Amino acid sequence: MNAVADAPRATRISGLTYDTKLLFCVLFLVGVGIVMVFSSSSALALKHYDTSYYFLKRQTLFSLLGICALVICSHLPYRLYRLLAYPILLGAIGALLMVQFSSLGVTAGGARRWLDLGFLRFQPSELARMALVIYLAYSLSKKQANIRRLSVGFLPHVVVLGIFTALLLAQPDFGSVVIFTTITWILMFVGGVPLRWLLGFLLPLLPLGYYYMMSAPYRVRRLLSFLDPWQYPADAGYQTIHSLMAFGSGGVVGTGIGKGVQKLFYLPESHTDFIFSVIGEELGLVGVWIIIALYTVLFWRGVRIARGCDDLFGALLAMGITTAIGLQVVINMGVTLGLLPTKGLTLPFLSYGGTSLLLNMGAIGILMNIGMARHRGGGDRVHRG
Amino acid sequence: MKTDPSRKVRLRSAVVSLLFVALFGTIAVRAAQLQVVKGSWLSSRAERQYQRVLTVTGKRGTIVDTNGDPLAVSVQATSIAADPRLIKDPYGAAKRMAPRLNISRKVLQKKLASKRHFVWLKREVTPDVVEAIRGLDIAGLHFMAETSRVYPAKTQAGQLLGFASIDGRGLEGVEFFYEKQLQASSHKIQVAKDALGRGFDGPPRETTALNGKDVQLTIDRNIQFITEKALEEAVTTHEARNGLAVVMAPDSGAVLALAHYPYFNPNAFGDFQRDDWRNRAVTDPFEPGSTMKIFSAAAAIDSGLVRADSIFYCENGAYRIGRNTVHDTKEHGWLSLQQIVKYSSNIGSVKVAETIGAKTLHRYLTAFGFGSRTGIDCPGETPGRLSGYKSWSAIDNGAISFGQGVSVSALQLTAAAAAIANGGRLMQPYLVKAIIDASGKVVQQRSPKTVRRVVSPQTARTIQKILHTVTTSGGTGEAAALEGYTVCGKTGTAQKIGPDGRYAPGKYVSSFLGFAPAEAPALAILVVVDEPRKSHYGGQVAGPAFRTIAQETLHYLNVMPAHGMERLRVAIDEEVKG
Repeated sequence: MNAVADAPRATRISGLTYDTKLLFCVLFLVGVGIVMVFSSSSALALKHYDTSYYFLKRQTLFSLLGICALVICSHLPYRLYRLLAYPILLGAIGALLMVQFSSLGVTAGGARRWLDLGFLRFQPSELARMALVIYLAYSLSKKQANIRRLSVGFLPHVVVLGIFTALLLAQPDFGSVVIFTTITWILMFVGGVPLRWLLGFLLPLLPLGYYYMMSAPYRVRRLLSFLDPWQYPADAGYQTIHSLMAFGSGGVVGTGIGKGVQKLFYLPESHTDFIFSVIGEELGLVGVWIIIALYTVLFWRGVRIARGCDDLFGALLAMGITTAIGLQVVINMGVTLGLLPTKGLTLPFLSYGGTSLLLNMGAIGILMNIGMARHRGGGDRVHRG
Repeated sequence: MKTDPSRKVRLRSAVVSLLFVALFGTIAVRAAQLQVVKGSWLSSRAERQYQRVLTVTGKRGTIVDTNGDPLAVSVQATSIAADPRLIKDPYGAAKRMAPRLNISRKVLQKKLASKRHFVWLKREVTPDVVEAIRGLDIAGLHFMAETSRVYPAKTQAGQLLGFASIDGRGLEGVEFFYEKQLQASSHKIQVAKDALGRGFDGPPRETTALNGKDVQLTIDRNIQFITEKALEEAVTTHEARNGLAVVMAPDSGAVLALAHYPYFNPNAFGDFQRDDWRNRAVTDPFEPGSTMKIFSAAAAIDSGLVRADSIFYCENGAYRIGRNTVHDTKEHGWLSLQQIVKYSSNIGSVKVAETIGAKTLHRYLTAFGFGSRTGIDCPGETPGRLSGYKSWSAIDNGAISFGQGVSVSALQLTAAAAAIANGGRLMQPYLVKAIIDASGKVVQQRSPKTVRRVVSPQTARTIQKILHTVTTSGGTGEAAALEGYTVCGKTGTAQKIGPDGRYAPGKYVSSFLGFAPAEAPALAILVVVDEPRKSHYGGQVAGPAFRTIAQETLHYLNVMPAHGMERLRVAIDEEVKG
């Protein structure tokens, strides 16, 4: 593949080139997100805040801030993060520790996942995910020469993952653990870590994961209810059932925006974790496929940027960002469609949530910067070894 | 051999992206499966969940009197119910609601903690309680609009109206008999509700079309009031067990008043004994006693066998028939038929009956409607008892002629008297003159119905004259004489049959049956007082009540007094003299 030949049809804006396809996907998704957050949250907002617009206003505000984050990050040279890899990593670990051990930590729904920053409930696991991606991209590209050695290419990264895992399980946030682990494995795979380490270490993890799943009754119930949600309509299967009903009610063309019923307190978390179900009900299969298509294009652009990047750090960073978003999309959608057991994961760009929106759009900005750097012909080739 | 790391990264990135493409594809296929293949099944499951069937019911019809005054109305009330599955904290909710609903916390908590979808907490609560409970803002409560049946006239015409249950079903009286007309219709509508049980599809529907029909009675509240007061006085003055009175328009058979004492308040029907509910004038048979002489006399005259001035020997107060002896209260020698009625001679009546024979007497009594139901629009009507004349013994013929060995309902008796009053036609008595639908249109109008001609107009005229003498000086019904109006009537004093089947000493049914004014009867009235203790003669016990009812009702109906001025003058003269 030739870098010049498959150069994106990029648009040059004020001296910089934006990947317009990527930008279009992100902005379109964010726009749909604002509309669907309003549709799915207005009844809830009216009940708790006496105004239908509470979540709409906040989502709109964060979208605008997110666009700022995107623009800023797209202008910051991504190599900056190579220097900041460890500080960001330490910051993320610190934030996760603060959730557990400081008074700023907020418990909601049986999990301690948030830091109360006054105007915003900040979710450090979102930052930690980004920190992990940056760290892995940095570390894997730096250690490229000895990447095939267990102690260099594999173990340090697993140790860092282990730290995050411990902190996330303390919340508990099993969904994030799955995402973090998968991201680490994917990046190690892409970064050149031999498959035997990756697969060899996965096998002993399986009984461990099994033990963990079975250790808490609520996780067992979740698993059982995932296998047959209709057997548990009142408790564990409740969300899944109502999510499935939402998709079923939507049919091909949907009930129309705002006309769904499941969001009216039948489907919990309809504006966050289950916003895709509301889309399924109100916009139908057509809407669902358009959303999937948008994410696919977004993913494709991300991989393309990664593959087109001559700088290994940039390539891994782009791949990490892309797979982190893609993974979250796949898991969230899988949960809403009853393909995966329920986890507390949001849908990037669409779900209500400030931290997630800011960080994901920032990440897209970084992705764009990587793409632009390549296009400008910058970036050092990775032929050190 | 060393591979180019960047090539390897590209290759492995491609592998990862292919994996993701497969995942996205799986999701797209799964969405299609849910939304298209399983779509209808899932959406029907969903609909079953939020489509709740709501029954919308109109208002039960109103019962009004002949002038349109309401006697039974349905008013809006709110009942409080709960969906226990939506009550988060049964203890807290019960504790907060208990004092306002005036139900113990324990009872309330038990209801709220049940596993059902729906429990009533309290039916038909007052608006201030509804507001208080709404103010608590407890999720899972339902405020159901219901109608509550109210009888604004309280005890007035209570037994006649009957009552309806809390669910709006007529259980007694007119409420029961006209259930089909009064009953509100309802239809089930599908309403969409959110998970909190709140409806979200528009304003409540108009339900006027579902309202029951109004029932307009022939009863006049004013006449009912006059009748009830007079009856109450008669019963209390004579320390009687109970009493009843019927006022009827002779020309039509329309019942203008139907009074019972002791009263019954249908607003609180639960506080009364079953016996107090009964519309006894219709449901309870009794031995009429001497009032029956009106009809045996009519039979005698109409059959042509006896004339008003035909005379009979009255055996000086004791007449033996087989093993039985018939007595008169006063000893009489020879009396004309007219006098037999005026002085109420039992022996005379027996002689008359012997003259005309059992078959003729039975034929006429049956024609007057005895022994069969009048067909009045009330539940539980009794036909009374008039056995076939072939089974009558020697004494029966005579006894029945003066009202023993035969039982009648008060309504039958009044209707028969009305036939004499209107010139010989038996009219079917009725209580409801019109059925009016929710839009005010009369959908059913009752017109008077002649059952049959019983006696000729001449016979009726003759009987009227005879009955007029009863209330004149020396007659048994003098106390029933009116000022300004001529009155025709007959007293009745029947011994009651005890539980052993024999006549119980000292227990009487005292009655007065008559009509006024004699020239053009506007009212047929029966007053029956059961077991009076102070005095038992029909004329003394029931006569004054008859008089009050007739006098006040004729005034109320603006019936011109015929000779009022003369009577009044005489009265004044006497006072001057005295």
